[in-house]
Amino acid sequence: MASFERASPALKEILLRIYNAEKPIEVDYHLYEFGSVEYHIKSSVSEPQVTYLSISTPFLSQGVFLSYGLSPFTLKMVRQISTDVLHIVEPANDGYQLTLRLDFSKLPHNKESLKIITEVSSVQAVILSSQLKEMLQNVNSWDSSQAMYKPIKLIYHPKEPFYVIRQPQKIVAVFPMRFKDNSDVIIATSFFQELMDVVSLKKWAKVPPCNWSPIPPLELRGESFEDLSTNGGFVSFDISSHHVEGKRLDKTVWSLLNFYAYVKHHVKCTRGFIQRRMRRRLDNLVEVLEKSRVEDGQIKKGGER
Amino acid sequence: MPFMTSPELLLNPVLICRNEAEKCLIETSINSLRISLKVKQADELENILAKKFLRFLSMRAEAFQVLRRKPVQGYDISFLITNYHCEELQKQKLIDFIVQFMEDIDKEISELKMSVSTRGRLVATEFLKQF
Repeated sequence: MASFERASPALKEILLRIYNAEKPIEVDYHLYEFGSVEYHIKSSVSEPQVTYLSISTPFLSQGVFLSYGLSPFTLKMVRQISTDVLHIVEPANDGYQLTLRLDFSKLPHNKESLKIITEVSSVQAVILSSQLKEMLQNVNSWDSSQAMYKPIKLIYHPKEPFYVIRQPQKIVAVFPMRFKDNSDVIIATSFFQELMDVVSLKKWAKVPPCNWSPIPPLELRGESFEDLSTNGGFVSFDISSHHVEGKRLDKTVWSLLNFYAYVKHHVKCTRGFIQRRMRRRLDNLVEVLEKSRVEDGQIKKGGER
Repeated sequence: MPFMTSPELLLNPVLICRNEAEKCLIETSINSLRISLKVKQADELENILAKKFLRFLSMRAEAFQVLRRKPVQGYDISFLITNYHCEELQKQKLIDFIVQFMEDIDKEISELKMSVSTRGRLVATEFLKQF
C-alpha cells in the first residue's frame, strides 16, 4: 500500500547513516519497496563524500512514457530537489531509470541537511507525481478539434489503477474502488456519501467536485471488463485550472495519488474503532450480569428466616 | 434439558413482534427458557454493524453464561437460561439484564452508525482541506 509520506523511510535511514558515519564506509545496498520499486545505494571508501543512488520504478502510465525513459519535465523536477547536492548521471545504471550522484560535502552543516536528505529519499514520489503534474498542468489546453478523448490508465499501486480523462476545461480523475470484505465496501460507501455531502456545501465550493457511482461513468465504458469490475463503485474528481495553479498543483497531485491509501486507511481505522466500542460494551454488559449473582450471605439470610 | 424426544415437556412458545424486522421469541420448557431476538437493521450499515456486534458477543458467550454461541435460525441472538442459572443468579436481576441487553443493543447499533458517519464526515473534510 502506498505510504502517505513521500520519503522512503528505509532509504532515508541508509542515507543518513552514510552521511553521519564518522569514517567513510563501503555501502552496496539493494532496497525493494511496494513489490516493484528498487533502489541501489552505493558508496565507496575511495570517494568518501559521494554516494550513488539508482532507482527503478514502474511508470504511472505505461503507454505515455515508456519509450524514452524519464521526460525532461521529470528530470527537471528531480534536479530541483537540490541543485548542489544532486547530479543526474547519464546514462543511468543498467536496469534503472535514474542514477543520481549525491555529493554530501555540499550539504549544509545544520538542520537543512536533514531536510535535503529527506527530499532525496522522496525521489520516487517526485518521479511519479511529476508524471501526473505534466498531465494536469495542461488542463485548459484541450484541443477542441479533438472529437474523442481516451481515458489514460495510471497505476500508482499494482492492483489499484485509476483513470484520467481530458475534457473541455477540466480533467476527470476516476477511481474504481475494490475491497476484499463486504463490510469494508459498506463502510467505504458511507464515507463516499459523506464526501459528496461535504463537497456540495458552499464552504467547499473551491475543491474539486466529487461524485460516487456504483456503475462505471460513461467516459470509461470502452475499458476492459476486468478493470471495471468493482464492488465499491467509482469515485471521480473534476480537476479544473484553479486546482492546479501554483503550489496547489503539488497538493492536488499528491492527494489524487494517495486517494486509495487514504480510503483504505480510513476503513481500517473505522474497523478498529468498532472493535474497541464493542469490547467496551461487552465489559459493561458483563458487569451488569455479575451484579445478579446470588451471594453466599443472601442464601444464609434466607435460610435463617 | 428436554430434547425432541420429550415434546410433552415443552410449553407453548410466545412470539412478540414490534414489526416484521424486530421480534422476540420465547420458548419455554419445564427447566429452561430460550429467548431469541431479531434486531432492527434499517440499512446496510446497520446490518453489518448488528452482525459484527452480535457475532462478537456470541463468540464470547462464556462471559455471559446465559448467551448461546449460535442464535436460533431466523434470529440474531439467543439466550438459554436453565434452572442452574436461576440458582446462581437472582431471577429479577436476570430479567433486568435481558431487558437492558435488548435496550443496549439497539442503542449501541444506533450510536455506532452515527459514529461511523461522523468519522467519515471528519475524514472527508480533512481530505478536502488538502486541495
